[in-house]
Amino acid sequence: MDTLDIIVAGGGSAGIAAALASARQGARTLLLDRQSNLGGMGTNALVHTFCGLFHPDVARGVQWLNPGIPTEIGQEMLRRTGQSAPDLMGRVYVLRQHPTLFALLADELFRAEPQLTRLSGAEWTGLERHPQGWKIEVMAQGVRRELHSRALIDTTGDATGARLLDPALCEQTEGARLYRPAYVCAFQQLAGPQDESWRLGLGAMIFRAIRDGLLPAAAMGAGFRESPFSGEAFLTIDLEAGQAHWDPFDPAKRAEVEAEGRHAALALWQFLRQEHPSFHACPPPMLPTQAGIRESARYRGDYMITGEDLAASRQFADNAALAGWPMEKRENARGPKFRYFDNPEPAGIPGRCLKNSAVPGLFFAGRCLSADHEALASLRVMGTCMATGQAAGKLAVDFVAGR
Amino acid sequence: MPPADISPATVIALLIEQQIVDPSDPLTPESDLFACGMDSLAMMQLLLHLERDFAVRISPEEMTRERFATAAALAAWLSTRKRTSA
Repeated sequence: MDTLDIIVAGGGSAGIAAALASARQGARTLLLDRQSNLGGMGTNALVHTFCGLFHPDVARGVQWLNPGIPTEIGQEMLRRTGQSAPDLMGRVYVLRQHPTLFALLADELFRAEPQLTRLSGAEWTGLERHPQGWKIEVMAQGVRRELHSRALIDTTGDATGARLLDPALCEQTEGARLYRPAYVCAFQQLAGPQDESWRLGLGAMIFRAIRDGLLPAAAMGAGFRESPFSGEAFLTIDLEAGQAHWDPFDPAKRAEVEAEGRHAALALWQFLRQEHPSFHACPPPMLPTQAGIRESARYRGDYMITGEDLAASRQFADNAALAGWPMEKRENARGPKFRYFDNPEPAGIPGRCLKNSAVPGLFFAGRCLSADHEALASLRVMGTCMATGQAAGKLAVDFVAGR
Repeated sequence: MPPADISPATVIALLIEQQIVDPSDPLTPESDLFACGMDSLAMMQLLLHLERDFAVRISPEEMTRERFATAAALAAWLSTRKRTSA
């Protein structure tokens, strides 16, 4: 059986960066993903903003925070969407991205790496440790396959490797406090400008309709944000998802949440098409492949970074990446609660958050890195996931090289 | 008995208590609420509390940026609104 250097499991922002970082250093790398579009939440869930790409001190102007792949992807997205700069939203810079362009950009970046292969539609079903590395079992198109690698990077967002190998390697916040899922869909053929007063007017109209019983209560979590392309806007609905009963690993609950999101989105489309002039010509919104998941399970690494570390902009001797996004807590569907860093300075993310000495050769990055619930509110965003993914790719290459 | 006026302090208390906005400095009656993080989602939550706490019904046409720009503006408008509907 052919043994690869590195397998990356999960094709989201972190997985893309991990696989590219690994392949660009010459490691024979394979990425497996259950979806067919690379980009994770940024394509399949239509999450349309890259957060965490910039230095938190906006007084300095736009400064890219993490060199390498995060900056490369961010700059390329700016160019391809025809934007000249990210948006200043309150106290942070945000880059509007387009999910379709993100998937295509990831394809191009992957095609340029001869050392990198990719499996789509592959569900990760088994994991075993061997003296020479890892045996990974996947189910793809009804066929079970075995893959072997010397190092493994888990960028599934769900700590799937830990749950397959030893659940004690991961942890999960209780359902009531998990950051809520978001349902995002794309509205096209909108008329007129979509500025702040447009959004406020729309919010007031939706509010009245909910109170008058014309729209479902779930629409209270609805907000529109303009796409980088005219005539298009993304609707994001934060869902309560049964609040305390939410469990992202329960497929029946996932089905309920997806249906709740679709129902709210379609109710809003029908209502706005009748009542709001911008929406008269709108076809039904384009639905995501899946609802956006903000939090599920996280690894317990050699270090668990905390909200306090981030608030204090703490630096570590083994800094592997930098965090700059505030802790954006969404424990309910009533809007985010931000906790900003005490000073507008980036915080370090130590390499120890991306590995556990008890399982050498296993690395993790993105949403399932080793962080507490509070810190995850900052570290889960796509720009930061790219940075931790890139760092995990480098650590895995060092491990394979015996460094 | 005429309805009591709604003070800016009452509005500020509501904004803080319900975490509608997220100010970096203490809110004053003249603080720009939109600069403190008020967006369409936060505004919908605010409308919900205003309707419940002050027994008003707010139509979308009344929801202008100017009326919701500061606690003082909002308190003044709500007071007028209560007097005319009383």
